[in-house]
Amino acid sequence: MTDTGERRSEPDFRSLEQAAEWFAILNDDSVSVTEREAWQNWLHASPLHRRAWGYVETVGRRFGRLREEDPAGRSVRTLDTVRGQRLSRRQAIKNLALLAGAAGLGWVGWQRTPLPEIARRWRADYRTAVGEVRQELLADGTRLWLNTNSAVNVDYDSDQRRLTLVAGEVLVATAHDPRARPLRVFTEDGAMQALGTRFTVRRTDGHTDLAVSEGAVRVSPLSGVPPVRVAAGEGTRFTADQVAPPRPADPAGEAWSQGLLLADERPLDELVAELSRYRHGHLGVDPEIADLNVMGAYPLQDTDRALAMLERALPVTVRRILPWWVTVSVRRL
Amino acid sequence: MQGDAPSDPIAQLYVRHHGWLRQLLRRRLGCTETAADLAQDAFVRLLARPREFDSSEGARAYLSTVARGLCVDFWRRREIEQAWLTVLEEQPEPVAPSPEQHAIVMETLCQVDAMLRRLPENVARAFLMSQMQGLRYRQIAEKLQVSERMVKKYMARAMLQCALVEAEFHDGYR
Repeated sequence: MTDTGERRSEPDFRSLEQAAEWFAILNDDSVSVTEREAWQNWLHASPLHRRAWGYVETVGRRFGRLREEDPAGRSVRTLDTVRGQRLSRRQAIKNLALLAGAAGLGWVGWQRTPLPEIARRWRADYRTAVGEVRQELLADGTRLWLNTNSAVNVDYDSDQRRLTLVAGEVLVATAHDPRARPLRVFTEDGAMQALGTRFTVRRTDGHTDLAVSEGAVRVSPLSGVPPVRVAAGEGTRFTADQVAPPRPADPAGEAWSQGLLLADERPLDELVAELSRYRHGHLGVDPEIADLNVMGAYPLQDTDRALAMLERALPVTVRRILPWWVTVSVRRL
Repeated sequence: MQGDAPSDPIAQLYVRHHGWLRQLLRRRLGCTETAADLAQDAFVRLLARPREFDSSEGARAYLSTVARGLCVDFWRRREIEQAWLTVLEEQPEPVAPSPEQHAIVMETLCQVDAMLRRLPENVARAFLMSQMQGLRYRQIAEKLQVSERMVKKYMARAMLQCALVEAEFHDGYR
C-alpha cells in the first residue's frame, strides 16, 4: 500500500521536528543564554541533528534572499494577494455550501480536495461526513455501507442498476433483482459489474481498489482494455488504463462496515493512515517506528480512543502538538 | 537510425509518448507552446529519475500524472506572476528590474509559496511577518491576537513544513 522504500530516503523526521522547534526558540530575541547552550548541545549530539539544522538554515537563507532582492516588501504583498485570492475562492465555496444547506464537509477535507469533486460530493444521493459510517437499504433490497467521507449516486432504470462512487469507499451487498437488471458500480476509472455478490470499492489517489468477498465482479476499465474477472476472496487495483492481476484480498477489509479497524500484523504507519481517514487534521507517524507491527481491533467511531489503545499496546506516545496536528512517536523512558 | 527503435528505454518512451503527451497538455492548457515546454519538462523529470514501466498504459498513466502536477505548478506560477505584476504597477520601482532579477524573485516566490501554501492562515502570516518583515514574536502576537507562546508554536509548525519542502527540493524524494 505504502512504498516504504521511498520513505526511507526522507530526512529523519524527528530531527527536522526538533530543528524546527529550536528555530522557533532561537528566532525570537528573548532567547536566553541557557537556551542557546542547550541548542548547541542538541546540535552536537548527532549528525542527523546537524543535517536537519542545515535544512532550517537553507530555508532561512531563501527568505533572506527574497528580502535582499526585494527590499520594498513587494513579495510579501504578492504572497498576501495570492493567499487572499485562494482564501476568497474557498470562502465562496463555503458560502455556497451554507446556502445549499450542506454541512458535514470539514475545512481540512476540502482544502485537500479539488473543486469539481467537492461539487459532485454535495450533489450526491448518499454521502457521509469524516468519521461517519452508514448503512443504506436501496429500493431493490441491495445494501450499501458508506465509509467515512464518501459519496454515492444511485441511478436505477428499466435496463440497469447503476451506482456511482463519487468519492471514498462503499461496501455493496447486492440483492436479487426480479427484473434481472445488471448492477454496476462506476468510478472515474471504469465499471464493475456484480455477478451475484458482496464487494468493496474504494476510490483513492487516482485509482480504484476492489475487494470481493462473495460471488464475483467483472472490471471494465474506462479505456476499453479487456475486462478482468475478480473472484471471491480476491482483490485488484485498477485505473482507467489498466487492471492489476487479482490477488488475495484482506479478509478484514470490510470490518469498517462494523465500525472496526482490524489489524493482523499490520505496519503502524498503514494503520495510522487508515485511522486518519476518520478524523480531521494531520495524523502522522515517526518514520522510525513506521514498521512496528500492530495487532488488534480499533474503534473507528472514536479515533482518540484508538490512539490511546495504541499507546497501551506499543512503545509509542501520541503527541498533540496542536489540536489538529497529532504525531505518533517513540516513547522514550 | 533508419526506422530502428532506439535502444535507450527513455528514448523509446520519448518516441512513443511524446506526441501524445503534448496533445494531452495542449488540450488542458489551450496553448501549444506551453504544452510543448511542459511535455519536455515531464521527460526531463523522467531522465533525472529513470523508471521502468511494464506496459505502454503504465507509462502513459505515469506521464499524465506528472503532467497534471506540472500544469498545477504552471497555473500557480502564473497566479503568482500576475499578483507580482499588479503589486509592481501599484508600487513601481525607480529602475525597472532586469530579467535576471525578475527570474530570481519569481523562482524564490514560487518556492516560498510552495512552503507556505499548505499552512493555516495564521501560521503562514506569523512566519512571513517574522521572516520577511522582521517583526518580533510580541508584535506578531498582538497583530494576530494570540499569545506569544502560540506564535512560537506557529513558527515551529511553519518551519517544519518549510524544512520538509526544502528536503524535498534537495533530495528530490516525492
